[in-house]
Amino acid sequence: MSTISYFFSRLLQIIPTFLIVMVIIFLLVRALPGDPAIAMADAKATTEQLEQIRQRLGLDQPLWMQFGIFVKNVFTGNLGDSILMKAPVTQVILERLPASGFLTLYAVLFSLLIAGPLAFVAALNRNTWLDTSIRTAFQVGLSTPVFYIGLLLLTFLAAQLRWFPVGGYGTTFLEHMYHLLLPALTVALYTSAIIMRNLRSSVIEVVDAEYVQFARAKGLPERIILGRHVLRNALISTVTLLGLSIGNLMSGTLVTETVFAVPGVGRLMLDAIFARDYPLIQGLTLTFAVLVSIIFLLTDLIQAWLDPRLRVA
Amino acid sequence: MKKLLMATVAAAAMFSAVPSMAIERGGSLTFARYDDSTLIDPIYADRNPDIWMVTNLYDTLLRTEADGKTVTSGLAESYDVAEDGQSVTLTLRDGIKFSDGTPIEGKDVVFSLTRASDADLSPWAGLLSSIDEVTADGNQVTIKLNRPDPTIVLMLATFNTAIVSADAFEAANGETDQEKAQSIAIDGFVGSGPFMMKSHQRGTLMQFGANPHYWREGEDGEPLPYMDGINFLVIPDDATRILKLQAGEVDGAEFIPFARVGELEADQNINMELFPSTRIIYSPINTRETRADGSANPLADMKLRQALNYATDKNALVQLVLQGAGKPVSSGLMASTTQLATDNGPIYQYDLDKAKALIAEAGVPDGTELTLTILAGSADDAIILSALQQMWSQIGIDLNVEQVDGPTRGAKNRSGEFDIHTYGWVNDVNDPAQVAGWLGYYPTAKAVGTGWNNEEFNSLYEASNVEMDPAKRAEQYARMQDIYNEAAPLLFMYETPFAVALSSDVQGYVQTPLGNNEFASTWIDR
Repeated sequence: MSTISYFFSRLLQIIPTFLIVMVIIFLLVRALPGDPAIAMADAKATTEQLEQIRQRLGLDQPLWMQFGIFVKNVFTGNLGDSILMKAPVTQVILERLPASGFLTLYAVLFSLLIAGPLAFVAALNRNTWLDTSIRTAFQVGLSTPVFYIGLLLLTFLAAQLRWFPVGGYGTTFLEHMYHLLLPALTVALYTSAIIMRNLRSSVIEVVDAEYVQFARAKGLPERIILGRHVLRNALISTVTLLGLSIGNLMSGTLVTETVFAVPGVGRLMLDAIFARDYPLIQGLTLTFAVLVSIIFLLTDLIQAWLDPRLRVA
Repeated sequence: MKKLLMATVAAAAMFSAVPSMAIERGGSLTFARYDDSTLIDPIYADRNPDIWMVTNLYDTLLRTEADGKTVTSGLAESYDVAEDGQSVTLTLRDGIKFSDGTPIEGKDVVFSLTRASDADLSPWAGLLSSIDEVTADGNQVTIKLNRPDPTIVLMLATFNTAIVSADAFEAANGETDQEKAQSIAIDGFVGSGPFMMKSHQRGTLMQFGANPHYWREGEDGEPLPYMDGINFLVIPDDATRILKLQAGEVDGAEFIPFARVGELEADQNINMELFPSTRIIYSPINTRETRADGSANPLADMKLRQALNYATDKNALVQLVLQGAGKPVSSGLMASTTQLATDNGPIYQYDLDKAKALIAEAGVPDGTELTLTILAGSADDAIILSALQQMWSQIGIDLNVEQVDGPTRGAKNRSGEFDIHTYGWVNDVNDPAQVAGWLGYYPTAKAVGTGWNNEEFNSLYEASNVEMDPAKRAEQYARMQDIYNEAAPLLFMYETPFAVALSSDVQGYVQTPLGNNEFASTWIDR
């Protein structure tokens, strides 16, 4: 099978995923106790006013009708109006998505820069003091809560030394780079630990593989062995992991976004849940589903490129 | 004219609190907020981050002083309530203008008040249910009422009756009134307050600029505001907001956790302000005979509720939760800063013997289990829980816990599926009718979900809502508070101030007891 038809068959698989996500999220948000009217007017509205709000939001209609409207809207590219933000859901999400995307890519870049070289160093110096100290350092990074690392960085590097701004996002590309450096680093300390461990064990596995020993026996220079044979094969499982992490990070940098006041979608999702903002929660979940599907698709494509055996599957 | 003079005297009195420094004009302030505004419009403001900003952008016909109680002139230079209480006449000031330079006229007032009292549009319309019709003739505005309403004057000094431009709404893009309001906020702001919206990047930055056509004068005889503008940054995390202030990146930070107040008070570069508020923390008690699951509810017995109140050391709670920056409530029904609040010192002062006697009278067996529903993730609630567990174990109450999020707690309050749960309140209006209606009047929301239904209280409340004689109304309120305190449908707890930390060069900033952020008279001393 060619890469192109592989691509299309993978693309088709996304559609049922998407439908299932829509049904589940629609039912799940409504299964939560409390509703948008309660969340909006919790300690203010009379019983009568709550009913008025529900009517205005169409929450008094039967579930199947609400679902019908939701599906119809999605297929016409309209995700409705956010109850909390009092603005169209698509607009609200598009405003917040860039910050999360920027932070995620920035963090992934950092993770690779940190984890890649160190994983090789650790693997090639297996069980020496070098390997042990690298692994211990990452273990500490992995087991320290993200908000704590974030606050430490903010307190020392930003508030005291004034090298960086205390949170925020900025307005230009360079400002984003500057403002998001500490949050990206915070996220990367965690992510790189996972990638490093995985990459290190893959490298160890590959280095011992027969084809590498064969390459070495052929007398190929170590540079080519490491670059062409070891790296490419060791990366296969790491790419999967990386894809999963990006998917997680896009929606899951909530703590980092809060501590560093980054206006991203993680924070938005939390606000939406606390406001029981059904349209916004649905819109965000769909957005995450699309993003994660795209990332997994790309992951699969990269893997297929790295490992031709996968294209047949 | 008398009113105008009153306003001037009062304004002078307010500023005399500020050391006699020459006011400096210009510059802009950067202020860190805990949450962003969504839509700052008099009628669509339904969350505190919106409500508390409205009067910076839209002026009201009348205003309240910094104490939040005294009514003074606003866009209207005078007002007159008819003898029979059936109408209010107001005279608009000469030469007042919207931020786009167009005059503020009778038709704008008619439009604004009609819009504000339309129940299909405004969630606050219930507060204006006495309004029958609003008409204007030149600069005279007449509000015809369908019944005498002792709260109407205060309502005209409240954010939801602030004046918007009828022409701007007519010209704005959008089908519905809300879409038009949104479009005015984003595409072309027109307002009547001291500031105007310059830009708003949701979740990050909101910028206000000075309204060049604002009427009210500052201490130097020039129109307010003193500053050229304000930048609001959204910093949801408490610790980050404080760091941002300490690093000098912002000039002010709101909602300082009380645990950090002492540390910031010691900082010479920071002016730690604790503004008196109408915020009360209390816990509704389910007073129904049976619980939602059908089991018998021991809390239906008033004596047990009183015993719990006596067994709760409120001073200890104030120390534990607020580090002393607050006080136990002196009226069960409202904060002491509210009009007509009874204040004879704290109610239900800690008295273990009384609590034990009451619990014996009620015949509540030792080891009776009650459940306290608290907000998951709230540090304050966690402290309250462990304190109450210890305090109440003294009278043989075994306190369990249930942790939920805000909307779940709200839903439980409405359905009565709770024993006791933590809650809070801030007045939006300084007339006590709003808070008394919410906490005690059964038809509003079952007396804050407690199910407490007292006929005498209800009829007093109804009578007080049409009582035009201030003395009689005060008597009714005194009686209502007595009934309420005795019946104890709540665990009465404490009042808290608003904690705002400002850079020491910021002068004249006020957060009113209602929570409104007042920046018009704020200036920066360089």
